[in-house]
Amino acid sequence: MSSRPPDTSPKLVEDASFLADLVRDKRVIVCCGAGGVGKTTTAAAIGLAAAAQGRRTLVLTIDPARRLAEAMGLSESARVPTPVPRERLTPVGVPESGELHAWMLAPEVVFESMVRRLTTDEERVQEILDNRLYQHLSKVVAGMQEYTAAEALYGLSTDGRYDLVVLDTPPSRNALEFLEAPRKLSLFLDERVVGVFMPRGGAFWRTASELIDSVFTRAFGEGFYGELQSFLRAFSGMFGGMRAHADAVRQLLTSADASFVLVTSPEPVALAEAEYFHGRIAHMGLPFGGYVLNRSWAYTRGFASPEDIDLGPGAPIEEVGALLKLRQLADAERWRARRDRDLLAKLRMEGGTGAALATPHLGGAVEDLAGLAELARNLVRFDGA
Amino acid sequence: MCVGRNGRARRVIILHSLKSLLGLRAVLVTGKGGVGKTTVSAALARAAAATGKRVLCTEMYSDAEQGSPLAAALGVPELGDQPVEIAPGIRAAVLSPSLGHHKFLRDVLPMKLLGDAAMRSAAIRRFFSAAPTFPEMGVLYRLLDLVRDKRRDGTFEHELIIVDLPATGHALALAQIPESLLKVIPTGAVADAVREGLAFLRDPEQTGAVVVTLPENLPVSEAIELTHAIHTHQIPLAHVFVNRVPYDPFGPGERELLARVLDGKPPVLGARSLDRIDRARDALARLTREVRAPLSVVQDVWLEGPRLAEEVASLFSMERFA
Repeated sequence: MSSRPPDTSPKLVEDASFLADLVRDKRVIVCCGAGGVGKTTTAAAIGLAAAAQGRRTLVLTIDPARRLAEAMGLSESARVPTPVPRERLTPVGVPESGELHAWMLAPEVVFESMVRRLTTDEERVQEILDNRLYQHLSKVVAGMQEYTAAEALYGLSTDGRYDLVVLDTPPSRNALEFLEAPRKLSLFLDERVVGVFMPRGGAFWRTASELIDSVFTRAFGEGFYGELQSFLRAFSGMFGGMRAHADAVRQLLTSADASFVLVTSPEPVALAEAEYFHGRIAHMGLPFGGYVLNRSWAYTRGFASPEDIDLGPGAPIEEVGALLKLRQLADAERWRARRDRDLLAKLRMEGGTGAALATPHLGGAVEDLAGLAELARNLVRFDGA
Repeated sequence: MCVGRNGRARRVIILHSLKSLLGLRAVLVTGKGGVGKTTVSAALARAAAATGKRVLCTEMYSDAEQGSPLAAALGVPELGDQPVEIAPGIRAAVLSPSLGHHKFLRDVLPMKLLGDAAMRSAAIRRFFSAAPTFPEMGVLYRLLDLVRDKRRDGTFEHELIIVDLPATGHALALAQIPESLLKVIPTGAVADAVREGLAFLRDPEQTGAVVVTLPENLPVSEAIELTHAIHTHQIPLAHVFVNRVPYDPFGPGERELLARVLDGKPPVLGARSLDRIDRARDALARLTREVRAPLSVVQDVWLEGPRLAEEVASLFSMERFA
């Protein structure tokens, strides 16, 4: 009766995946990848897997889906990381020693804490916070997310509060920009540029300054130039500190304490992006952990074939017809599974670390902590069940 | 049409005419990352060109090292700052912030010479390119410049400009820049330019936002939130595209029959596809209920790059003759 043998597709990965080592040993795990591949969910699941190992873990995220945010108890306006309550962690297997915190990065909050850390004088702090230009720059997110991520990573990975920080990179086309962001911002705030806007003696400087003044007044209206000067003056004391942070973040991320994980889906666009990131990670000398193949159909173990369903003689023609259509869908799934398993083998080879693993194609999206825990278990120990 | 052995399903169902969309001056395409914004942008450009329009297809940033997804979707190696014809009736370019800054300075300063001198000043150039939000303002000014550009016969150089925007979060952050900037600099030439840009972006006769999403629960929730945010910024919502909708082969009653057959049996291959079809059906129903904008459904097509955009566009164009 059975028309084909049970699915004997090869076991996808060894019992423990490369992520099992990472969540146990690393201090920072950075998740990169194209948008829409489940990067944020994967970062959250990695965090939960580390908490399940008894580690104090923080997940830093940028733009989580609302359900995921709710599952983790994230609030958009939180000024500090929020712990997932103990009573919700116990049912998903997190031991007493394990903690899971989450924080949605808000640029203005990160900026303000940076200003406070780098400026000891309270009057100076207020002067900066009250400046209209500062308020505009710190609230408008475009281009600031990258900087914020680096700055937050510096603060949180150095204060000893957490064993592991998992960073979900911004959904920017070049997510590794966050490594360059502090350098970029300090370019803008460079003393040499700033110096031009500051009053200075000499005929040459007076001419240059008059040109700039006339350009700015024409372009931005009266008063803006003064505002800009006071903004730059207030900020100028902080440059050294900002550059030191940038160097420290870079040092941490190139050390053996850090690991970069590439999340991708089987979509050609996502794969091309992952390949690009892999090249960049190698080029920048960053430690590469491995690939996570998400949203794949590679996982077919434990599924029966619709060909084996016997409707018995005299079954209504409509039922036979519907079952035939299901078989077509099953065929398409088999084709996708083969494609994704080939892909997985390719990623493993390309990764060089032998580290790539598939997560099952979960129905829809992860919407609660239990779903996240299931994903976390699959990520660290793909038991092929 | 059916799902073949190789999993391919090809057909696009257009639920609503695209005529009004292609009649605008600027179409801003946005959505969550990975939903197919760039494919839709390229397909719209091809479809508009097929109706005889002079189209300019643009994106905001281009990273030479990484390559441009829009260039890939249009089937060209890369995009430059100046519009270049890539197919009959279609030009493509990157909305260059520095060209916007330069044009702006030339427009506001009394002499062309002074504008050039200002741009030559390393400090001013660096300030404009590195100061946060200034590149974005340059992009807006560049867009306005391209919108206004006329030919000798008085017609517009680019009748329709399509902008492939970055992913949702970034695009919304961009949308709030003009208003935030007006608070910092309420007067002066920049403020005037920003006001003019805002007026253009908010004119439903000229500008329309297009939201692209996928037929799954969370993407649809996010698309609905995005339409609300677009509404908050007073930018007219022109169209919603639901991409990668799985083909549903089942007739009325067949799903229920199948549910009965599968009831109590272990999980079976094909059932995940069934779930996906069901989720897509629910998601589309919710989107239709909650969003008041023309909706188009694009079925799952296993193609990539320019061939995908061409396929989608050819089906957009067929609709004209239907």
